[in-house]
Amino acid sequence: MKKLRLTSVAAAAALAAASLVAYAPASNAAAKTITIGFQGPLTGEEAQVGQDELAGVLYAVRLFNAKNKGKYVVRVVQADDQGDPAQAAKVAPGIASNNKIIGLVGPAYSGATIASLPFYKQRLLPMISPSATRVSITDPASPGGALGLPVFHRVVVTDKVQGPSLFKLATKGVATPKVFIVDDQSAYGVGLVDYMKPAIPAGQSVGFDSVSDKTTDWSATVSKIKTAGANVVIYTGYFPQAAVFFKQLRDSGYTGILAGGDGVLSPSFVTLAPASVLEGVRLTAGTVPLADISTKLEADFKKKMGKASGVYAAESIDAANIFLSCIAKGVSTRAAMLSCVKAFKGKSLTGAALSFDANGDVAGGAMNGFEVRGGAIKFTGPVK
Amino acid sequence: MIGNFLDQFWSLTFGGLSLGFIYILIALGYTMVYGVLRMINFANSEVFMIATFATIIIVRDVYKFTQTSEYATGFRLWLILGTALLASMLVAGVLSVLIEIVAYRRLRRMNSGILAPLISAIGVSMVLAESVRIMSDSRPVASPRAMEKSFIGKFFDADIRLDNTIIIIAAIILLILLLAFVNKTRLGKAIRAVSMNGNAAKLMGINIDGVVSITFLVGGLMTGAAGFFYVLKYENTSFSIGFELGIAAFTAAILGGIGNIKGAFYGGLALGLLETYASFFLGTQWKAVTVFVVLVLILYTKPNGLFGEAMTQTRA
Repeated sequence: MKKLRLTSVAAAAALAAASLVAYAPASNAAAKTITIGFQGPLTGEEAQVGQDELAGVLYAVRLFNAKNKGKYVVRVVQADDQGDPAQAAKVAPGIASNNKIIGLVGPAYSGATIASLPFYKQRLLPMISPSATRVSITDPASPGGALGLPVFHRVVVTDKVQGPSLFKLATKGVATPKVFIVDDQSAYGVGLVDYMKPAIPAGQSVGFDSVSDKTTDWSATVSKIKTAGANVVIYTGYFPQAAVFFKQLRDSGYTGILAGGDGVLSPSFVTLAPASVLEGVRLTAGTVPLADISTKLEADFKKKMGKASGVYAAESIDAANIFLSCIAKGVSTRAAMLSCVKAFKGKSLTGAALSFDANGDVAGGAMNGFEVRGGAIKFTGPVK
Repeated sequence: MIGNFLDQFWSLTFGGLSLGFIYILIALGYTMVYGVLRMINFANSEVFMIATFATIIIVRDVYKFTQTSEYATGFRLWLILGTALLASMLVAGVLSVLIEIVAYRRLRRMNSGILAPLISAIGVSMVLAESVRIMSDSRPVASPRAMEKSFIGKFFDADIRLDNTIIIIAAIILLILLLAFVNKTRLGKAIRAVSMNGNAAKLMGINIDGVVSITFLVGGLMTGAAGFFYVLKYENTSFSIGFELGIAAFTAAILGGIGNIKGAFYGGLALGLLETYASFFLGTQWKAVTVFVVLVLILYTKPNGLFGEAMTQTRA
């Protein structure tokens, strides 16, 4: 299945390249056909993330094509990396060598991004990721400088911003915070704690624990938290474990604040524990659900795409819109696209200013806060 | 640290005990089969996993609980818990018997030795885990809460929680029933006879296939009960939990001495408490290390485990 999909993508790309040479002038005399790409997990265990992002890109492209009828036709080539670096290294060369593709939304995942980068850098394919948050991709302090320069950009803020924001949100309104922080031993969870640590005021931290994401019995951690007398507990990991941990902690009689990062922000989170247990859980994420930006937008998305929007829908639309606005300015090559993206100044869906800094990070991006209320995750505004 | 430990001693102990009893019941699934066939039924971990799903299906789909439902009380609560327990035990028991018939019986008849059934067991466990993975979309599945996790009293400083109490009491009752079955009934005697000397038992007119099926059934029933208790305590499951819990229970069986019920009992309790104390003292990341260091030390001095007996002795 994997192989089949791959070859069909490659074949389609080759065919498209061939047909451009042969038929482009005849097929649509007035409209100019431009191709962009999307890369993310479209099959496999992570498929939901990639499919949701792809829907965002296609939504933006659809609006653009309707608006620019007769002038431009934008096509999207889809590359399935399954969120897996090994798979990404197999699809990236095909995308990189397809010169028709002048911009790439993605990859969705950081590991896949790092595996794909050598190919895109070699062919100077401009990239904008909606969701790859690993700091090293744009960090000038990483060995050899920022990995992604010059082609990589992202519209999502990184864990470097999320760490301190999460701490701030978790302790908001607490007079004397005693914070206990638990990570899940993953690169994401441990990293988030590392970025949080410098932001913790003296005396506010009462303990740390590191618990494998395979753990089902949390009684030891729960006991530590109770001995430490914590009134704020932050978990940096993913939602399946967070639900179990929070449940066992609440059941032990803990009444303080519970908080987590974007790994916990999933619509499935609230289905994994009783609503009474999760009431008031505070979460941070770089993303905002479309419905929280405007219910009209979400309704239109649902009508056009046939399904509700996913977690990174807004970022995917933003990323696609940057390429599309460059295309509207007449950009039709990779080189022109790269300088256009670097110079881009515009607005995101939320209305905030959107541009990139020298390393490809979104300039001045903010973290958003969420809270579980009545068994649903509600947007509570940017973390200040 | 010691002062903190003493503060938390009883609550850690209660948590460790209820976890230990879950281990004991799964370990029985391994140990009963090993006692009779000298074979590790690796598929037992997936029998446990499917039993957890059976419990959730009863609570969520038969009794229609959701995450926002009111908790059940009184007679209705006991009815729900009873149905879920029986259903998980039955599903697991029947599944175990089927696994034996499909995956092991023919190999045994053809005197395949011990390696072929081992691979067959691993194959069955992969098939079961993957089937559930496809059916559950690779997602973790949570059980809605039917019973409020209330505190029913205090022991020294520790809160005694209802679910832990139910697990410990119900598991003890199951163990007493199991011992009575193995020691007092004709079938139990037949199981012990086959376990001591299969050929002699056959010559005495014991139906070996029948005894093997009963052994798988009983082991499955115990493992199924563990599935129910697991969901009662942790309220969630996924297609992949079998491996983790299975390894832990298998370790418990080895620690206590595989092949006898007493070994599974003490091994399970020791493991549950050891894991909980070690996580508190050294940090959860050291839990597995501690457990296996202790296991190696015990096997170093007692190669058959704490209560391991010579092969020819009784296994009850």
